Amino acid sequence: MKKKYKATLATLFLSTFIGTSLSANDITKLDVKNECNVKENGIKKVLATASKYNIIAKKEGVEFKRLGMTNTQYIDGTMKAITEGSKTVDIVDNKNKKTGEVSTEYAAWRACSFAISALQQKEEAKTTWKLAMPGNGFEY
Amino acid sequence: MLLKIVKATTLAAIATCALNASDFNAQAEKDRLALIKYFEAKFEDPEKNRNTFFPYSTDDELKNSIAKGVKFEEFSKGNYAFNIDGKSQYEEIKEMPPYEDAIDEGEELYTKKFANGKSFASCYPNPAIGADYPMYDDKKKEIVTLTQSINTCLTSNGEKPWNTKKGNMAKLQAYFASATTDEEIKVNVTIPSADAAAAYERGKEYYYSQRGYLKLSCATCHVQGAGLRVRNEKLSQFVGQTTHFPVFRLKWDGLGTLERRVSGCIKDQGQVPPKDTSKEMKELIYFMAYMSNGLTVDGPDIRK
Repeated sequence: MKKKYKATLATLFLSTFIGTSLSANDITKLDVKNECNVKENGIKKVLATASKYNIIAKKEGVEFKRLGMTNTQYIDGTMKAITEGSKTVDIVDNKNKKTGEVSTEYAAWRACSFAISALQQKEEAKTTWKLAMPGNGFEY
Repeated sequence: MLLKIVKATTLAAIATCALNASDFNAQAEKDRLALIKYFEAKFEDPEKNRNTFFPYSTDDELKNSIAKGVKFEEFSKGNYAFNIDGKSQYEEIKEMPPYEDAIDEGEELYTKKFANGKSFASCYPNPAIGADYPMYDDKKKEIVTLTQSINTCLTSNGEKPWNTKKGNMAKLQAYFASATTDEEIKVNVTIPSADAAAAYERGKEYYYSQRGYLKLSCATCHVQGAGLRVRNEKLSQFVGQTTHFPVFRLKWDGLGTLERRVSGCIKDQGQVPPKDTSKEMKELIYFMAYMSNGLTVDGPDIRK
């Protein structure tokens, strides 16, 4: 089953984004609300978007984590739920124990918005980090 | 004539090298002094400087809970440097510190023979090495942390590496920290080369960059936020944060390494933390440790 949903995700990812290349500029221009809108785009496309950007976020060392789950876990959990026909995604702790659940639509939105925001934030921080530094951009 | 030219050229080269060597830490020193100046100003008179530094604190807090006139030397105590209530609880716990057994166990680990007959004493003849790490290894072109060095000592002697967050690793580090504290050694992180300075700069950028779904930087809490209250706890100031590790945290009910604590903070920001011996983590720790230069090593210690 795990193989099945991973293969589905890979197919989705490839069919949606093959042939595209990304620059930092492209990523900063993305509108998270549009890109991750489940109603408009459909859950599978939103999930593919999440996967596409989360791969980069992981590589860049900025992957988000919430309620003990990495964004990769949100993506995998949502895909598993879709494949199995479940309407909810389990939130699990680091010992894989269920601590809550969210709807698949919400999980897909979260995974997608987390993936894009992580990369946008990284770009933004390149120019803003000095503003927090006493003796540099931070004045008091 | 030729000899004179050779001598002059050699002297000039040596002078240039010496000048450059002393210059590698120039920016870091500037950063460190600016940070100390900021914290000394912040804790000079919290009540008087409310608008600048403590806009959300209550009158009672500013009057009775945050100490005035805190100076650099006191920062090695973490937030107990200014946290009046916290300090009195801390001092009570320190009367019978829960990490004492760990220091003894660490000493046993230090002398215990590996399968090849050697021991940690072969890698570290003097256990008072708490102020020596992190260091920049110019041959490997990377930062070496104490945690990494201990595991290198193990693996190079045919042993398995340890968990980098707790257990034996924290116990041995507790022994090293205790030996260093006994000798009253001060933190002295060096920046010996341009590559080391670049690693320092990357660590600095990591520290001050907003990250995670909460979009917080380390500085949000530990520079601008230092002294402010989160729930019922006061956030510690950045300067002095690395001097007392490993720490026995009441939350952990045990001893943990600096990497464990830093990972916890990054998770709290809402991001997957870098691995304990990754380049990012080591460079972050390198930068953090440099900011505590000049403070006396004061570990192991207790924290909530």
